Amino acid sequence: MSTLRIIENLKQAILEYDSDAAETWVKRAVEEGIDPIEVMDELTAAINQVGDSFGKGDLWLPDLVGAADAMKASVPVLEEELKKTGRKRQSLGVVVIGTVFGDIHDIGKSMVSTLLLAEGFEVNDLGVNIKADDFIYALEEYCPNILAMSALLTTTAAEQRKVVNAMKKKGIRDRVRVMVGGGAITASFADSIGADGYDPTAPGAVRLAKKLMGA
Amino acid sequence: MLKGFVRNIAPMEILSKEQIESLHAATLDVLWNTGIRIEHKKALSLLEENGCKVDHDHMRVKFPARLVEDCLRKCPGSFRVASRDSQYDLLIGANRTYMMTFPGMQALDKDNWEPRVATRKENYDGVTIIDALENVHSMSPYFPYFGFESVPSVMGIPECLAANLRNSTKISMCGYGNNCESYCINMAKASEQEIIGMCLAAPPLTYFSEAIESLFRYVESGLPILFGGGQVFGGTAPATIAGATVTNNAELIAPLVLAQIIRPGTRVIAAEFAFPQNMKNGAPDFGSIGISLHSAVFNQIWRKYEVPVADCNPGPSSSKMIDFQCGYEKTAALFTAALSGANIIQFHGGLYGELSWHPLQAILDDDVAGMIGRLIQGITVDDETIALDLIDQTGPVPGHYLNTKHTREWWKREQFIAKAADRMTYPEWLETGKKSCLDLSHQIMENILATHRVSRPLTPSQEEEVDKILQEARDYYRSSGLISDKEWESISVL
Repeated sequence: MSTLRIIENLKQAILEYDSDAAETWVKRAVEEGIDPIEVMDELTAAINQVGDSFGKGDLWLPDLVGAADAMKASVPVLEEELKKTGRKRQSLGVVVIGTVFGDIHDIGKSMVSTLLLAEGFEVNDLGVNIKADDFIYALEEYCPNILAMSALLTTTAAEQRKVVNAMKKKGIRDRVRVMVGGGAITASFADSIGADGYDPTAPGAVRLAKKLMGA
Repeated sequence: MLKGFVRNIAPMEILSKEQIESLHAATLDVLWNTGIRIEHKKALSLLEENGCKVDHDHMRVKFPARLVEDCLRKCPGSFRVASRDSQYDLLIGANRTYMMTFPGMQALDKDNWEPRVATRKENYDGVTIIDALENVHSMSPYFPYFGFESVPSVMGIPECLAANLRNSTKISMCGYGNNCESYCINMAKASEQEIIGMCLAAPPLTYFSEAIESLFRYVESGLPILFGGGQVFGGTAPATIAGATVTNNAELIAPLVLAQIIRPGTRVIAAEFAFPQNMKNGAPDFGSIGISLHSAVFNQIWRKYEVPVADCNPGPSSSKMIDFQCGYEKTAALFTAALSGANIIQFHGGLYGELSWHPLQAILDDDVAGMIGRLIQGITVDDETIALDLIDQTGPVPGHYLNTKHTREWWKREQFIAKAADRMTYPEWLETGKKSCLDLSHQIMENILATHRVSRPLTPSQEEEVDKILQEARDYYRSSGLISDKEWESISVL
């Protein structure tokens, strides 16, 4: 099968939110020896297309999440391949993102995660209910440029402070830009915990991440 | 005891008997086959000892139907919650409906509608206004503002409860988190006033340790407790109302079972706080009609369980200001909640989501609550109200009823008299400066703040005890690193 055909099928899988097909076609691409960087670029173009349609109001949240899941199913295959050759994909920056301990609100955090991915960031999404220690481990493992934390509940917002304090204690606070968001967070709260930035919306969070990266 | 609104009409029912059975059977199936994740070791052991199947590695608990049915039977169908002034006690359950506030994290200025942190005065005034309003009987957790100026975020719940206890004898519901419930329980005891605790699910089908810890604390203290969730259809629950009802029921029954094991007969309330998801921005779709469909279903099922229910959904709107949208969204949800038999309805003052609260909205809401409360009280049909003799005596024109004793005795009982609504004639309205209901509600607010006093203030020793407990809480959070240097400095300048 031609390179073009495989890439088209892969993009189609993303646009149809079909994770299984996406994984199948990305493996096929690797088997056929297509440059993983080229495949990654095509995947990014597909997710960008979904992101644009979402932004215009033609697609909805379930579509965005479906496409992102299909992309997430494909990316590890390519990363594995890149590792073998010692190459690194280009990205706007590396982000570690998660919802803090005691809070399982996933949707806002996932929207930010998906939009960052679509914008060209390398995103390590830790999920929800993440303890301060686990954020610290992830910061050491992924060496990100940005740490993004979400908290929807007022009762869990204080966890963001715990993470920032843990970073200071570990001596890594200055290495990472911290951005916070979620329903319970306000600009003054973000300021009080010493975050580098805050935005109440997912598209705004992406703009903030780009600003923090100087992009 | 506050009378609230006693529903004297048949409740609105939208499910058939068979549909109720299907939803109940599915709930039992989820509880036994899928199970609930409960991240609390002591709870897991206790549930296992009482017949649940527990996978300790995954913290998954499976509830047998017999235990569930048994615990549902142990819940009182109605119960009293005691204020320090007994005329403000609540008798929650059966066909009685009480109105409650709905909180909002921030204050709004009505000239620009932009949210900002509330001042201490605004927070305390908010409580005074609610204490004065006739058609609101209780206060929600985090009320009014989740905290206010110079209060560290971690102190929001205890400081709000202290304000409620100081400025009102109406019963408060109270939240939890970071162990604050211990301080809140102590403040309630010191004030000789019961509070209603809370324990919230983390949908789908999960309870975090903090929620269960709160359950233990409130139940062991002998206080009533509310179980709720906060699910969104299509996000943290199935997109269908039926599917979401099943997961919500399972989420609420799990802690109910635990509460009845810890202390049989514990006073519990099942709360309906579920929304369709806004598929554009991911937020709950406050004010949408899916909310009402779910609450009608929920209220009907829990009436079968004979457990009192609280509908929280009429409280918030998607509107960011006091406007037409806010009015119609809240009123539509309130109608359904009241007609379908909710025992507590969170309503007064909430604007967008849980993010903003406004006293003028609360005053307007008080009229709406009074109107709908009047509606569900129905009518009396007997010889006196039919008034056959009077009709015969009055006869056709020029006879009329305005000058009769019957009219003088009955009209106020039959009608609801709105306080903030503009009910003027055109000439009156023009002559008095074309005032809107918002202007009129502002006058009511000023009058309340100038004249209203709580019926039974805290005694000096109770005040002292509340202050002492708040200081203990501050010291604890300071030593735990949850109050920053900057926040600590702002407290000390109070």
